[in-house]
Amino acid sequence: MSYSFDFSGLSQGYDELLDGLRITVELTIAANLIGVTFGFIVALLVMSKLKVVRIPAMLFVEFFRCTPAIIQIIWFFYCVPILFDVYLESITMGILALGLNLTAFNAEAYRAAIQSVPKEQHDAGIALGLSPLQRVLYVVLPHAVRSSVPVLITNGIGIFQQTALVAIVAIQDLMYQGKALATTTYRPIETFTLIAVIYFAISFPIAQLVQAIERRREVASR
Amino acid sequence: MLRAAAFARHLRSKEVVTTMNKIMSNKTATQEFATAGSQYKTAAAGVSGQPLVRISNLHKSYSPTVQVLKGLNLDMAAGERLVVIGPSGGGKSTLLRVMMGLEEVNSGSVNFAGQEYICADESKQKTKINLDVRKQIGMVFQHYTLFPHLTILQNLTLAPRKVRGESNASAEERGMALLTRFGLGAKANAYPNQLSGGQKQRVAIARALMLDPKLMLFDEVTSALDPELVAEVEQVIMQLAEQGMPMMIVTHDMWFAKNIASRVVFCAGGVVVEEGTPDEIFNAPKHERTREFLNRVFHI
Amino acid sequence: MTYDFSIVLGYWQALLQGLGLTLKLTLLCAAAGSALGFFVSLARVSSIKPLRWISTLYVEFFRGTPVLIQLFWFFFCLPIAIGTDISNFVAATLSLTLYTGAITSETFRASLKSIRKEEIDACIALGLSRISQVLYVILPQAILRAIPTLLSNFVSLFKESALVSAVGMADLMFVGQNISSNIARPVEVLTMVALIYFVVAFPLTRAVTVVERKMLAKLAI
Repeated sequence: MSYSFDFSGLSQGYDELLDGLRITVELTIAANLIGVTFGFIVALLVMSKLKVVRIPAMLFVEFFRCTPAIIQIIWFFYCVPILFDVYLESITMGILALGLNLTAFNAEAYRAAIQSVPKEQHDAGIALGLSPLQRVLYVVLPHAVRSSVPVLITNGIGIFQQTALVAIVAIQDLMYQGKALATTTYRPIETFTLIAVIYFAISFPIAQLVQAIERRREVASR
Repeated sequence: MLRAAAFARHLRSKEVVTTMNKIMSNKTATQEFATAGSQYKTAAAGVSGQPLVRISNLHKSYSPTVQVLKGLNLDMAAGERLVVIGPSGGGKSTLLRVMMGLEEVNSGSVNFAGQEYICADESKQKTKINLDVRKQIGMVFQHYTLFPHLTILQNLTLAPRKVRGESNASAEERGMALLTRFGLGAKANAYPNQLSGGQKQRVAIARALMLDPKLMLFDEVTSALDPELVAEVEQVIMQLAEQGMPMMIVTHDMWFAKNIASRVVFCAGGVVVEEGTPDEIFNAPKHERTREFLNRVFHI
Repeated sequence: MTYDFSIVLGYWQALLQGLGLTLKLTLLCAAAGSALGFFVSLARVSSIKPLRWISTLYVEFFRGTPVLIQLFWFFFCLPIAIGTDISNFVAATLSLTLYTGAITSETFRASLKSIRKEEIDACIALGLSRISQVLYVILPQAILRAIPTLLSNFVSLFKESALVSAVGMADLMFVGQNISSNIARPVEVLTMVALIYFVVAFPLTRAVTVVERKMLAKLAI
């Protein structure tokens, strides 16, 4: 390997990369806001006793979980304007696509967490004379939210990485700026490596946080 | 719940008493197990004039403050059935685990048939284990020790094949014979999760016997079982006793202890507090700590 | 505007070819990646420190960066770095195999961890050597326990493989996008392509649940 690295060219793209990173972070935060709130609602719909509510909700979740994120994004870009005759800013479109994708994954996380509350806890709630609403509010939810937190954060990191896909529909995120810089500087190795390191430097510490939470839980549950 | 337990106890006592009577009268029993019985007896009587097991001055601590064994000494003669009782955390299970080479010790040693096989090397802080000697000892644990991915018969044949290089055919033949003897012949090709807790423990005993041990260690083998499943396991151990298998048993089941033991050892605070015949220990304990323990156990 | 989904049927051959490449990539990388993942999981619990560090760094890096950038790196940087051209297919296979290796190594690591300590005690009590313990008790169980999660890893791989369209490989996604822009019918074509992905992935995710239940039932004591 006789390649000589030269990172000096990258400094000319400093501002663009920073702009790109800002958009990536904005996309991530917005998608997570949608995913964490709507995910919970969809989880409740999925567990509904009414078929008319449950089946569409399940279809929504399964469809987003079983198709590539990239086709979801491209589908939003090309089909939403035609189908609904609305023209949204491309970044709004990106947020919507990523947000709904995350909603589906988070709905699964909430559902699993709610269903993992042991039956004995419900029984104890009944035995203590709590009303169904009280049982949900004071017994099931605190339990479920606590156990869903690590998965929600993991999904959040996942969507942070998926934001790179919006570069394909020309949203100027970190990935897009990196690609442009690689082309103008003719330095793909340096550029793509730097971009990868930036993504890594953000997701790795958060992933470690999740592991720390899980380790603490393991110790606590012994 | 209480009534169910009492009923199970009643049932169990009837079954086990039948076996016990057999041991006492020793007539039908010796006919039934004549061959196997003599095998264990010769093994047990192998070395004369010295104890089968000699445990000297065992010390073990998990940390400077948590000491489990504090200079434990114990001898066991050939042909004995030693039952170790005592409060939780008193070192009973640790003692068996040390004898099996599963725990390191800080000082002390264990001899088997005159050979020292476990010995603390205090300078290196390591425990030296003579594997050839240890292989003569079999052990059954409280639970979770059958290999779930193997059938019952495969559980039995794994060690003979891999440890001793026994042929598959011969190991399977011996395994089937043992399973049939324990009333589990029909389960040979089932997986552990298809068995009841009692059946699993009987398989675990059979698995240990496949290596022809000269001493069996039982570590609370019935504590994890539902009350109605305890009897079948205790009966199998009784059968082995009948055939003269030397054994050391840790149990919380005082009824079983009283009936199977040739000698009872009361262990607390990491040392042997008192030992004697079942009659001496259960009916006339000398030590205050023994009395206190038995009072608590029998007057709940 | 009216929608005419039958229009897509005229392109079934091209779509089928695209799906063929998608499946070929998925299967190849699933096989190579899980074999790699297995050894990496062993390296991560190894007692040799440098081995542990390198394997950890590899896993964390591939799990901590977008797959798209990994692909770009293998397409645009690897040829420069090694000073010779490699075919698109090789670059894509390498990239996705390393991605799969990283995620499956975590799966194997978790399954190794889930083997009970009591079983190891039993192995010692039965006098099994360390090698016998690994070969006959630990490995078979680790692999069995890993199967359900491995299946969902493969579903992820199948979905991520759509990214190779971004570097111009004619997989299902790429073919779909091309048809869609050629005939200017994105709603019909893209929806159909999404449906095809769904039809392959959905049964697999159901299989995960079924296999999981079976494995749990079998390995529960």
